[in-house]
Amino acid sequence: MHNAIINFTELLARVENDRELLRDLLLIFKGEFPGHLQALRDAVDSLDGDRVTAEAHTLKGMLANLAATSAADAAARLELLGQNRETSKFQDACSSFENVSKDLLLQLDRCMAEVGG
Amino acid sequence: MKILIADDEMMSRKLLQKTLERAGYEVTVVENGRQAAEQLCVPDGPRLALLDWVMPELDGPGVCREVRKTNVQSYVYMVLLTSKESKEDVVAGLESGADDYLTKPFDREELKARLRTGLRILSLEDRLIEAREEMRFQATHDGLTALWNRGVIVDLLGRELARSRREHVSTAILMCDLDHFKSVNDTYGHVTGDDVLKETAKRLLASVRSYDFVGRYGGEEFLVVLNNCKPAFAFARAQEICKAIAQKPMPSSSGPVPITMSLGLLLSQEWGLRPVEELLHEADVALYAAKVAGRNCVKLASPNVSLTAPELQEHDHVRMRR
Repeated sequence: MHNAIINFTELLARVENDRELLRDLLLIFKGEFPGHLQALRDAVDSLDGDRVTAEAHTLKGMLANLAATSAADAAARLELLGQNRETSKFQDACSSFENVSKDLLLQLDRCMAEVGG
Repeated sequence: MKILIADDEMMSRKLLQKTLERAGYEVTVVENGRQAAEQLCVPDGPRLALLDWVMPELDGPGVCREVRKTNVQSYVYMVLLTSKESKEDVVAGLESGADDYLTKPFDREELKARLRTGLRILSLEDRLIEAREEMRFQATHDGLTALWNRGVIVDLLGRELARSRREHVSTAILMCDLDHFKSVNDTYGHVTGDDVLKETAKRLLASVRSYDFVGRYGGEEFLVVLNNCKPAFAFARAQEICKAIAQKPMPSSSGPVPITMSLGLLLSQEWGLRPVEELLHEADVALYAAKVAGRNCVKLASPNVSLTAPELQEHDHVRMRR
């Protein structure tokens, strides 16, 4: 049921089935993600290519660690747009990313429950 | 083995730290490139490093450049770990001084395998340094006694004389020779002779200060250089050396061997700006005087006293025999 955005099987393998470590990682993600998402939104709204690139890069890394490939790809697209200063495409790309993120956060809660968080 | 992880992203740090601790590494974690460069440049700092590319203050390639520029003590094996994966990025990363390159999210087994490669390279470097140090030691020390060899002790004396002239202090030169050493070899054999030489070296080292120099000058001749040394102290030290050699027979594979030592003492301040070779010759003349005086004693080289022609001839003859 968790395969929609987060590949839970891959994630468990990545932490060598260490559920305690997984719980720690999920907690870190849950604590850090909203701040970075907001920072990305602010950068997009102010059409700041450098900040879009930096925030999208950070989010991409976090999502890749979480085995959330589609969400990481969406962040990667924003990073590329930021690098290329394609400011006209920022809003759409960011909205897509925010939509993916909503689903991701819902799934994250289910993952937390599964690992006893 | 110590390893440094530098990553500004908390999840990556946690995941890497746990993975590497499980693999047996002693992990240090930092959050930015500046801290990473500092940690990698301290003596006994980590020699393996996993560096994120994008970091605040100093990025991964910047850390590599900084470490390569400043770290001279030992090689640091650095792996860039990042989501950048274009060919240009790989080239830029390696050109900055990184040894390897891994893309995020990392594969656990690949990461460990690449770090093992790093360990092999570091181990190879350690062996090379060890071999170099061994060669350096062999080139500068006497093989039997492990004292400075003749070339080095004379060089050290030259430097010390120059320093003492600059600072207007005196350097004492002690030319030391074991008495009747040939008879030790003849009576007990060369193995015992070697034992006596090794024990002599130990006693000489034990008789001087840590910053004085002791070298093997020839067969049974030793040169001691006492730095920044007042005349009264030098003479007392020379007599102590005499006593240290004669006081107890030398332990050897043939049992205890009694032996004594004669010394020629020269104080540099009394001799002006004479070259090293000349001072060594004069110390040797004083040593000869100690031999003539009955051995097991110290004679001071004096610029006002010179040997007569027959004495000089005899000195050279004795020197050749020695």
